[in-house]
Amino acid sequence: MIEVSALSKRYGDFTAVRDLSFTVQPGEVLGLVGPNGAGKTSTLRSLAGIIPPSGGTVRIGGIDLAAEPVAAKRLLAFFPDEPRLFDYLTVRQHLNFVARIYGVADHAALAQSLLEELEIAEKADQLPGELSRGMKQKLAIACGLLHSPRVMFFDEPLTGLDPLGIRRMKDSILRRARDGAAIVLSSHLLHLLEEVCSHVLILKKGEKIAHGSLAEISAQFAHGETGVSLEEIFIRATGGSEN
Amino acid sequence: MLGALLYLRLTSLKNLLLSRLRRLRQPKYLLGAAVGAAYFYFIFSRPFGGSGRPSISSGSATAASFTLLSAELLPLLSVFGAFALVLIALFTWLVPSEKPGLTFSEAEVAFLFPAPISRRRLIHFRLLGAQLHILLSAIFFTLLSRGWSFLGGHVLTHIVGWWLVLTVVNLHFTGAALTLNRIFDAGISVWRRRLVILGGLAVLVVAAAIPIWQNAPAFPTGNFGPGAFFSAIARTIDTGLLSWLLYPGKLLLAPFLAADIRTFFFALGPAALLLAVHYFWVLRLEVSFEEASVAHAEKRAARVGRFQAGDYRLGSAPVKARREPFPLRVPGRPELAFLWKNLLGTRALFHWRVWAGCAVAIMIGVPWIIRAGGEAPFAAIIATVAAVFAIYTLLLGPQLARQDLRSDLPNSDILKTYPLTGWQILLGQLLTPIAILTGLLWLSLLAVMLALAPRAETVSWLTPGFRLTAGLCAAAVIPALCTLQLLIPNAAALLFPAWFQSTRTRGGGIELMGQRLIFVIGQLFVILISLLPVVLSCALVIFASQWLIGPTAAVVLATLLALAILAAKIAVGLWWLGERFEKLDLATELRP
Repeated sequence: MIEVSALSKRYGDFTAVRDLSFTVQPGEVLGLVGPNGAGKTSTLRSLAGIIPPSGGTVRIGGIDLAAEPVAAKRLLAFFPDEPRLFDYLTVRQHLNFVARIYGVADHAALAQSLLEELEIAEKADQLPGELSRGMKQKLAIACGLLHSPRVMFFDEPLTGLDPLGIRRMKDSILRRARDGAAIVLSSHLLHLLEEVCSHVLILKKGEKIAHGSLAEISAQFAHGETGVSLEEIFIRATGGSEN
Repeated sequence: MLGALLYLRLTSLKNLLLSRLRRLRQPKYLLGAAVGAAYFYFIFSRPFGGSGRPSISSGSATAASFTLLSAELLPLLSVFGAFALVLIALFTWLVPSEKPGLTFSEAEVAFLFPAPISRRRLIHFRLLGAQLHILLSAIFFTLLSRGWSFLGGHVLTHIVGWWLVLTVVNLHFTGAALTLNRIFDAGISVWRRRLVILGGLAVLVVAAAIPIWQNAPAFPTGNFGPGAFFSAIARTIDTGLLSWLLYPGKLLLAPFLAADIRTFFFALGPAALLLAVHYFWVLRLEVSFEEASVAHAEKRAARVGRFQAGDYRLGSAPVKARREPFPLRVPGRPELAFLWKNLLGTRALFHWRVWAGCAVAIMIGVPWIIRAGGEAPFAAIIATVAAVFAIYTLLLGPQLARQDLRSDLPNSDILKTYPLTGWQILLGQLLTPIAILTGLLWLSLLAVMLALAPRAETVSWLTPGFRLTAGLCAAAVIPALCTLQLLIPNAAALLFPAWFQSTRTRGGGIELMGQRLIFVIGQLFVILISLLPVVLSCALVIFASQWLIGPTAAVVLATLLALAILAAKIAVGLWWLGERFEKLDLATELRP
């Protein structure tokens, strides 16, 4: 569903991502981890078509993102760490707007069921300024899910959420994956990865350090020890520093 | 303790100045500072009236009339200035600011409120803090008014004069806000307070109106100049009870209006007394200002946070949900979704019903005014005002109507994930300001056409058919012109995002003002260059073809040519900027 081949991203002389290749199949949740400045956000933004990669290819559902960006973007949804909403659009108007952009014909019923699922139906006529941080996050999620994307990118999905919100976000990600979506999420929270991700990709200084299922990664860095936490694995994989 | 508070103020000021100087190392700020300084030099060095400072000693006719004007003008300035101060004071009580009487920053609240500092010292700290702004404002206004040679006086007396006025007004604001806080604390509601103040105001108005009505000075008849007209108004205002109300204002303005040092020192005493009264009023008000100050500091911090996150709305009023401008049906052109979205973000004023109402009002009102008021002067005034408004709207409107990509740049990450090409997003974003500017220009055009209609009928070749065709042709070109105009600032935002974002910072000094000026001048320059070939081509077509096909058809032909050229430019611009938008990474561009 997501095929990345030799992806690179440069900013002038600085290379943020170097020769990155991996795939994510339907139903898989890939956790993108790495120290600060490892290139996680650049990777995620390149995959979502927000910034053009400097090299390599990204295929979403078999469609080349660079060659056919419009068709590829119909299949994906990007969830930023901070919910970016329009101040003057109510909750329902946000969904109406997104439906028009993506051409979702039967959006009214879909929107209603999403609002109910995310427990913001009673806020449908309120503006973002009247919503709590968690409610805004839910609205951003509802907007992202309205066109039933098959590929989802989450950037630090738990930022600013309360414990209940964190629990629900985890459940939501897992449910979408079970329904066949391919998901990539970037986070510093390793416990989130352990609970949600089926696969992990560790980046350092823009390069892939390790990639595989959680079990494979554990086997690679545990060196025969048992009960080694993901945190310990992460530290071993990255050498315990950003450089 | 005051020493510590003074240290805080002076050190903060020093560091602010240093940081401003340091950022001049960046070319964009240095260039901005140079342009801003040049602008101020031009403004401050320009004499009043624009064409040379009149000199009384020159003995010319101009100088003589200027002296005469000065003698008449000074009392008028005193009355009108005092009247303005009365209005400001009334407004302060009727519509109080959301700000508490004494405003503190979040850091000041965190550090000073829990500190062992008395309330009185906090008030002094705040009042002293305001003095810096007041002093700078006094110098600024003095520089602005230095060309008013008819005032007499000296630059120092003017600075002191402005300082007195601004300080007393500031103290009055503070005192009024604190007094109103006290009234609130006493449990009196906003509406009861307004009722009491409005009642008092009504009594004042009636009491002031009766002597004015009884002793109304006759207005001059026949041909009279503005001086006689304003003198009559001043005499009317300065009568009975109102003259007593104006008295403190006149005392306060007297040092500024003093023609010489002796008069200045005589005027200084009463004005200083007024200042002292205000100062003790504020100081003796036993009001708990802390809670309101904390709430305001939090609000301000939230606003700054919003601003840094890319939300540039200046108002603090809560946003309210609005009625949809039109039903957004799915499926349909996605660009229209942006028009729908951005119209929702504009004021309720920009609704098609309002536009239609304005058009009907113009169609009924303009011919009626011209008929009722005598054709020539009113027609000329209406046509001139409408034409000037149209020119300003076309030239400066794109800097003001920003409901496009410029407002949505912080959301560019989300916009770019939409299954749309860059040019589609850009076009969709431009539709709202295009609609607003087009509406304003169409209304202006309508007013000009109606105002000039009686005069045009006297010109043989300006037949009704030709006028209608020319008007429709102009109306057809307007949306394209607006689109081209709006492409320029959006291009600036996409091509120089770091520059563009820095100009959106509030305040910021001379360098930011210079940067904004560069954008405005750049916009005017680019649009002139863009329109030159269009205008020349159209002129050539009309000149060459009117002999063959007549003026009406020639205008239509030229309009079609203009539309074709403009459409081509817009298409290329949209495509190119769309590509640029797709490649834009705002986070990288804004990296210091």
